[in-house]
Amino acid sequence: MAEQGPSFLAHKSGDAVAVAVRDIKPGNAVVGYLDETPSVDVEVRADVPLGHKVALTDTASGADVIEYGVRTAIATADIVKGDYVHTHNVRSARWQNSVA
Amino acid sequence: MAEQRRLTGFRRQNGAVGTRNHVAILPVDDLSNAAAEGIASLVPGTLALPHAFGRLQFGEDLELTFRTLIGIGSNPNVAAVVVIGIEPNWTNRIVEGIAKTGKPVEGISIEGRGDLKVVEQAARIAQGYLQEASELQREPVDRSEIMLTTKDGESDTTTGLGSCRITAYLSDKWVEAGGTMIFGETSELTGGEHLIAERCVDDTVRSRFQEFYDGYIEMIEATGANLLGSQPTQGNIAGGLSTIEEKAMGNIVKTGTAPIVGALAPAEAPTRAGLHFMDTSSAAAECVTLMAAAGGVVNLFPTGQGNVIGNPVQPVVKITANPKTAASMADHMDVDCSDMLTRGRSVEEAGDELIDIVERTINGRLTAAESLGHREFTITKLYRSA
Repeated sequence: MAEQGPSFLAHKSGDAVAVAVRDIKPGNAVVGYLDETPSVDVEVRADVPLGHKVALTDTASGADVIEYGVRTAIATADIVKGDYVHTHNVRSARWQNSVA
Repeated sequence: MAEQRRLTGFRRQNGAVGTRNHVAILPVDDLSNAAAEGIASLVPGTLALPHAFGRLQFGEDLELTFRTLIGIGSNPNVAAVVVIGIEPNWTNRIVEGIAKTGKPVEGISIEGRGDLKVVEQAARIAQGYLQEASELQREPVDRSEIMLTTKDGESDTTTGLGSCRITAYLSDKWVEAGGTMIFGETSELTGGEHLIAERCVDDTVRSRFQEFYDGYIEMIEATGANLLGSQPTQGNIAGGLSTIEEKAMGNIVKTGTAPIVGALAPAEAPTRAGLHFMDTSSAAAECVTLMAAAGGVVNLFPTGQGNVIGNPVQPVVKITANPKTAASMADHMDVDCSDMLTRGRSVEEAGDELIDIVERTINGRLTAAESLGHREFTITKLYRSA
């Protein structure tokens, strides 16, 4: 069977990031939600490997990043919708020494 | 509704139910490992449990080692125990602790005898225990009598999307049936610890949880170290997890929705059914060993990047939602739920498959880790020995 369904999954409505369920190339992709939120499209701007995250919203450097409906990180650079999100542009909000 | 599977287990003298029937050869200390392994090699079918510590420990650290060793010997998956220690005093303390369960246990110390005499004498005892244990029969048991535990390892973002969600599904059903489930990994609640505190049944449990959590974080922060690469681990980061908070939220998913009825010290046995938190390291072997010492008889272990841990006493069921890990490390995985991500399979459907495997494991099916000989037995050390 061919691969089906969304390319990314997000946990909750309002989350700023979604997780790739396969290796994703730049271009248009569908984001599904684990809650009842309807799927959305995102224009992916970089390669996002399986299990890694894409930005669903713009986030300014220093602002909170929301996932699972809670703050899971702080942006360390300006993040644009469609960007690849990982340790190069987010950091722990709680452990100040936890930096790349 | 599907008919419930008939569960079977070994009902021990104190009423606790085991899923395995080991005769354990338990060293009190590192010096006694050679004798313990010698006994197990003379009496194949017994289980030696070598470990690295047990000398010159003191205070809370010593108490934890005693509680861990007594707890492992007392685990209902163990039918009988031979304890070997370098000297008689601490050896007897472990024997007396295990004897409270009513199971057969004897201790022998090495000083004044030497390894060879000890091995011969202990092997004769172990042989008798093994033959006795071989006649013990499985009996019908109920979910309410089975103490499960859960820990995840080498997590990635797929655990929060898949394997932890079906672990939660099972956990909720188990607690609803009057069973017991323990979760832990204190530092790995960071960012969502308030969600755990909110679910504690009363202020006593809540304040005990908060004390454990605050104490652990103080200990970590006092080092001033950069934790990126340690917590989250390099494997977590390779799998896409960026921060401790993101990792914690996946970890918390697997605890389900039941109220938290207890906050346990490391290796402390729960005294009532339901969902319990235990104050543990997030390192797999340390955590699963502490949970086995509390009496856990099967551990549910969601993994993303492919942690291979097993435990000698408590079978560890591996669950992965990562399609690459499911394919590349199939020999280590008991449940592949990657189609929850790739094909939208429901929590209920994948969760029922997990329940099926866990119940077959309770009934005697060997886990992948058991079949590959994974027996990681690791004592949690709180500080340096004297």
